[in-house]
Amino acid sequence: VQEKEELIEEWQPEPLVPPVPKDHPALNYNIVSGPPTHIITVNGKECINFASFNFLGLLDNEKVKSAAQASLKKYGVGTCGPRGFYGTFDVHLELEERLAKFMRTEEAIIYSYGFATIASAIPAYSKRGDIVFVDEAACFAIQKGLQASRSSIKLFKHNDMADLERLLKEQETEDQKNPRKARVTRRFIVVEGLYMNTGDVCPLPELIKLKYKYKVRIFLEESLSFGVLGEHGRGITEHFGINIDDIDLISANMENSLASIGGFCCGRSFIIDHQRLSGQGYCFSASLPPLLAAAAIEALNIMEDNPDIFQTLRAKSERIHKALQGISGLKVVGEAFSPALHLQLEGSCGSRDSDVKLLKRVVDYCMNSGIALTQACYLEKEEKCLPPPSIRVVITVEQTEQELDKAASLLKEAAQSVLN
Amino acid sequence: MNVGVAHSEVNPNTRVMNSRGMWLTYGLGVGMLHVVLLSIPFFSVPVAWTLTNVIHNLGMYVFLHAVKGTPFETPDQGKARLLTHWEQLDYGVQFTSSRKFFTISPIILYFLASFYTKYDPTHFILNTTSLLTVLIPKMPQLHGVRIFGINKY
Repeated sequence: VQEKEELIEEWQPEPLVPPVPKDHPALNYNIVSGPPTHIITVNGKECINFASFNFLGLLDNEKVKSAAQASLKKYGVGTCGPRGFYGTFDVHLELEERLAKFMRTEEAIIYSYGFATIASAIPAYSKRGDIVFVDEAACFAIQKGLQASRSSIKLFKHNDMADLERLLKEQETEDQKNPRKARVTRRFIVVEGLYMNTGDVCPLPELIKLKYKYKVRIFLEESLSFGVLGEHGRGITEHFGINIDDIDLISANMENSLASIGGFCCGRSFIIDHQRLSGQGYCFSASLPPLLAAAAIEALNIMEDNPDIFQTLRAKSERIHKALQGISGLKVVGEAFSPALHLQLEGSCGSRDSDVKLLKRVVDYCMNSGIALTQACYLEKEEKCLPPPSIRVVITVEQTEQELDKAASLLKEAAQSVLN
Repeated sequence: MNVGVAHSEVNPNTRVMNSRGMWLTYGLGVGMLHVVLLSIPFFSVPVAWTLTNVIHNLGMYVFLHAVKGTPFETPDQGKARLLTHWEQLDYGVQFTSSRKFFTISPIILYFLASFYTKYDPTHFILNTTSLLTVLIPKMPQLHGVRIFGINKY
């Protein structure tokens, strides 16, 4: 007993917060005043916004804002309830119908937070004992959804269909060894249309072939490609000309192109209806505020009325992709038509910390000259496959060609001065 | 939880046998089965008792030890998908009162059946084998065990 008392007295608790250096990036953040539209005011300085995912420029659109204000006057601000508990308003049902009609699927379901959309959709279908084949470059929301699903995860190399086929073949041989187990195991492939971490697209036609060959369901996450790819903005299925019925579930968040909050899933009624009771983010979170739903409906109207903005966006992305080639020390990662591309260091200087600091100097140089850029931030300890540090450049429809050229030349200067 | 009320039980299968009135319903159900069998004029009393015992044990085997998982969706991502109802009871805790009740009730039925069949050899063999099929899966050593891989997935 004496020893127990001594031990108790000697014990020093670990600090709740470990000692953190003063220049930790999370402690020195930039402060934005005003809306993050085409011109963003960072730390009191006005810069051109190359950091917010405002692809179609709908964040500051007058029609969207007036629709939201009219809805605010009619409904108030929040819904104060989940969808099952007096939280379903007519704007929600209208938005779901509009999204289903726009994407040409049977039904759509709305979530009130973009991250929670795919993180609730995956565990609604995939349980313990099921198998999910997922790309290594999947975004954090997908990773959390997979973790919540408790299924076995098989990672395949980014966009490497040969690797995926090898994994599928291995699974097939195991299934033949144990057919009774195979009959109760569900198999899924989770891919993104336009990857946020690498800026390229998934090879969807090959994936469809693999799907029908090995009998796997495909979940497509279209957060960045909705409203960007395709002739009318319907995403990667329109971009590749694939029948939308071949994809089992499309999930997207409305926080990028639609300039609203929340997310949606669309697909066959048989599939989407299941999420109305087992989508955790749908049943147990308050529903989307009606003013945001009205804003999303108005944004959809604008997207449907002006289908030429997608072509403009693609032209601008290709322009800046070409302009940024050949910067010494930085390499461009991403497809030519992707409006969100990464600039990674060509040669890393030892540790990730030093790379991050170097890129921060480039970003600060650009910020001082009036171009707002950002580094891609990750939760380093939580990511499964941590991408290398990079600067993320986002192109929106509102940027003029002069601004694009100015950004490209500024980045060249910054790279020259900082990296040499 | 009591059957039919709002509850926050993750898997209601685990607690349903502890609910109010469940044991009484079960006893009355067995009694009704026996009365129906007795009222069929072709069966003598020993045959009726053996039939009650065998049918009861068959039903118990199917519902408690053969059928796996839950008929409803549970928010635990399918933890109990491969478990029988007996293995799900009380989240796998052994020797709870429900488990003891359902272990003892086929034994009581066996005693009654042996008495009323006057310890006739044929009836004895039938009743004993039927009792064993229902007692052996209840042993804690056989929790989660699938012999020869039968009923594994």
